[in-house]
Amino acid sequence: MITKDEVNHIASIAKLKIKDDEISLFTEKFDQVMSFVQKIKEVDTENVEPTYKINDEDGFLKENGESQTLTREEVLRNTVDTQYGYFKILKVVE
Amino acid sequence: MDIAKLKAWEMREKLLKKEISSTEILKSHLEVIDSVEMDINAFITVDRENAMETAKLVDEKIARGESLGVLAGLPIGLKDNIMTKDLRTTCASKMLENFIPPFDATVVRNIRREDGIILGKTNLDEFAMGGSTETSYFGNTKNPKNLEVVPGGSSGGSAAAVAANEVAISLGSDTGGSVRQPASYCGIVGIKPTYGMVSRYGVMPMSNSLDQVGQFGRDVRDAYLMLKGVSGFDPLDGTSSHKSGVNFELENASLKGLKIALPIEYRDLRVTGDEKIREVFDNTVKLFEREGAIIQYVSLPHLKYALETYYIISTAEVSTNLSRLDGIRYGYRTENYETLDELYTMSRTEAFGEEAKRRIMMGTYALSAGYQDEHYKKALKVRTLIKNDYDKTFEDHDVILSLTSPILPFPFDSIINSPVDMYKADLYTVPVNLAGLCAMSLPMGEVDGLPVGMQITGNRFQESKIIRAGYAFEKVVK
Amino acid sequence: MGYKTLIGLEIHVELMTKKKIFCNCKNEFGGEVNTHVCPVCLGLPGALPVMDKEALEFGIRAGIAFNSEIEKEVRTDRKNYFYPDLTKGYQISQADLPLCKGGHLDIEIEDGVKRINLERIHIEEDTGKQLHTEDGTSLLDFNRCGVPLIEIVTKPDINSAEEARLFLEKLRSTIKYIGISDVRMEEGSLRCDVNINVIHDEKKIKSRITEVKNLNSFRSAVKAIEYEEKRHKELLEKGENTDNETRRWDENLNETVIMRRKFGASDYRFANEGDLPAIKIEDTWLHEIKENLPELPHEKKVRFMVEYSLGHYEADVLTGSRELAAFFEEIYKHVNDSKLLSNWVMGDVLRRLKEEDMEIEALHVSPKDLADLILMVKDGKINNNTGKKVLRDMFESGKSPEIIVKEQGLIQISDEGALEEMVERILDANPQSIEDYKNGKDRAIGFLMGQIMKETKGKANPQMVNKMLLDKISLR
Ligand SMILES: [Mg+2]
Ligand SMILES: [Zn+2]
Repeated sequence: MITKDEVNHIASIAKLKIKDDEISLFTEKFDQVMSFVQKIKEVDTENVEPTYKINDEDGFLKENGESQTLTREEVLRNTVDTQYGYFKILKVVE
Repeated sequence: MDIAKLKAWEMREKLLKKEISSTEILKSHLEVIDSVEMDINAFITVDRENAMETAKLVDEKIARGESLGVLAGLPIGLKDNIMTKDLRTTCASKMLENFIPPFDATVVRNIRREDGIILGKTNLDEFAMGGSTETSYFGNTKNPKNLEVVPGGSSGGSAAAVAANEVAISLGSDTGGSVRQPASYCGIVGIKPTYGMVSRYGVMPMSNSLDQVGQFGRDVRDAYLMLKGVSGFDPLDGTSSHKSGVNFELENASLKGLKIALPIEYRDLRVTGDEKIREVFDNTVKLFEREGAIIQYVSLPHLKYALETYYIISTAEVSTNLSRLDGIRYGYRTENYETLDELYTMSRTEAFGEEAKRRIMMGTYALSAGYQDEHYKKALKVRTLIKNDYDKTFEDHDVILSLTSPILPFPFDSIINSPVDMYKADLYTVPVNLAGLCAMSLPMGEVDGLPVGMQITGNRFQESKIIRAGYAFEKVVK
Repeated sequence: MGYKTLIGLEIHVELMTKKKIFCNCKNEFGGEVNTHVCPVCLGLPGALPVMDKEALEFGIRAGIAFNSEIEKEVRTDRKNYFYPDLTKGYQISQADLPLCKGGHLDIEIEDGVKRINLERIHIEEDTGKQLHTEDGTSLLDFNRCGVPLIEIVTKPDINSAEEARLFLEKLRSTIKYIGISDVRMEEGSLRCDVNINVIHDEKKIKSRITEVKNLNSFRSAVKAIEYEEKRHKELLEKGENTDNETRRWDENLNETVIMRRKFGASDYRFANEGDLPAIKIEDTWLHEIKENLPELPHEKKVRFMVEYSLGHYEADVLTGSRELAAFFEEIYKHVNDSKLLSNWVMGDVLRRLKEEDMEIEALHVSPKDLADLILMVKDGKINNNTGKKVLRDMFESGKSPEIIVKEQGLIQISDEGALEEMVERILDANPQSIEDYKNGKDRAIGFLMGQIMKETKGKANPQMVNKMLLDKISLR
């Protein structure tokens, strides 16, 4: 059973906030889903290697590829605030 | 002649014979959009001006007698999670409501290279998470076959646009069935190619080890044409395969001697009580048999863990793939923040919808310290077992037949509130992504006036087998 | 036995590849703000990484140079955390399977050679840069984002600030040797974090590990270690202990100050980076990289000891940088006397470099000129002291020794007749000195020699004069 506290903890790692009036319902649905996936625990996976990549080809390396470098206008066009060619955010308290 | 009602390959033939022009093709589709889009809402953005310009350029090429690409003059819809340079790309999220990419996805470059006409960006479940296109920030897309039911999802807009003749062909993305299931619900053909067949560069990832760009067409040949136009090795995508690319004949395809596997697990699981759907499927199997196919029941014992495996792996990947959406370099930024933590948390909380948040949360949980081994790492191992089951099946079978979805297209607002039920509807499509296989959904009949799709699954890089089988089936039923 | 200090270092080195690690943007220090940026390094939706061949090769070179075991398959992981200088919400790094496992680097301490073992070397991407302005905003530049890094992690084998300094210097010179980085701490291409604690075996007490960041020179690393060593011991002596925390070195205060406390291990939620399928390192490629690697410092040192009959210490110093070693070898071709040569290089040349705080590359004096100078001394054309004077002139003017000697008329006087006449005259003028010498005051010879050198402006052949003085005094 997943608790509201756990949900809040996971939310803080994921940089999300579940509103107080939604937390009960969210936790309930979240718990449904998480208990649903617990079924895989019954599978015997001893001596089974994990599959990270589904086809059998090796990864490749890049060499002398075409540059995709953007203009500064393109780099900054979708952000809220800029200054002197930088992205700008309010100073953040560490 | 109503051009927009033709198949894409018919449009292309007439274009090459100069019976119609590229501009005429486009205009015909724009007329359809003008008359039905209000009801269907397949698009988030329609790009009339640029489409018209490209159509004219294609006509000029024809006039000059230049050779044309395989997609020449065809109006194409792109799921709005595929980046288009200088054209808004939203992923159906408030997060990217105003995002204008400075670059093209590789599939977009390929379409341009092949003289295709990008007509617009289609609706989807937010960040491709969902099976009904109901989680979109831009409203629901309706099913052209019946406006009361969902078009399926997450590529609901791309499927609906093709089914409603708003575009000739389209692209979606398929992580656990997001192309095949809406194809099934909208009564059209949808292909989920082998992992590595189509470049993922410039396609917003949902679950990067499962995602693949899929193709929609009103018939098998159209979907195949779309695949031909966008596949090929891409040096910008590290997961792109050197075996990528398709080129084979359809005309001589037949079902005779085709070795078909039917997983007994699907027979036994009985996900739905809908006997009518099963009946349609049984009749289809009989038809295959009549046409000379060899049907055998096989066992893939780990299929019954596919959904759980899928939801753990996909949400784990979702949680990290969506981390880049932090409100700093692009995307929605909250106005009220004083600390860095508030900047992140409030931007993400205000901009993501409920399903996106739930999956990010699930994935964060599955990856967090202490749970990682029993969830994420365990799921990766079960994935190996599922893959092994398939590998064994394909040793002596050509394709696997199944339903695409165990349920009919459902009314709006019906199962969206029950995530587990909605996830269960993906039972037939999800394992294909886990094993990186190719599969296609194509119409095989109707129940209560709603389309029912069949799924043909093939081994990795065996697109020719599933597409040829689908084509042969289509010829028989026509 | 008292306290023992345990120090482990984590060193990030920026690799000077042509391109960034996962995209084709230029890898260049400086440059206009946000102009070396593309969809990949900016973390735009859908942009995908592909690993750079040169970056991987540089990582492998480091592994070979530090005697590590190179992994056959390179796998990468996502290290998930949110920070403004990080564009994707995760850094592509390596978790369980680093590119290089183990390894070591030997340093010369007073008692001889000490081996510092490495835990691992892995490859990863650098982050962007954050600038805090006075008006309360932060400005972000992503030019550095995606620059390839290797992270070198040592075992806690270092036991003093001095050993840490020696290790860092050796590490830096080795990295320069293999040509994978310019290792400039001021420009941030070499960054070092220190993990430190102290233990007392008999008292069975130990302090908790402190991590010190923000060290931007070897000197501040040394000072921070010394500071922490003392702080840890003092706390234990008082019956207290340190906290598990991260501190930074404050240059102005000359002390470390707390940055943040560590609450358990950070939850980075490491996950496989599926966008980069595992890359096989073929034996042929590995072999090729090994073949093309320049001679490594420790190999060169051994060769210097054998080939030039040098001691441990001399060989170590002379192979301290590839350029210095090459300088030495070039002169040797002309001089053929390693003992004499190493005296000159280790003495006057290195002292000069140290005074001026410069590298051998910046020296005006060519190996050929220095060789000529040494030969002039060896052949007795000028004496040793004059030689040193000429060298100083060479440092300043860059002129060849022949020209300096000629311009200033410094050729040594070895003419027997002229010297004999002078010696007789000086002896006549200083009877007291003769007396003193005969009474056992050897210093008197020095005085007489000084008189002659004064008269000849130091050009007299000192061996000849010395012999003459002794001969003539004994006759008087
Ligand atoms: Mg690091
Ligand atoms: Zn870049």
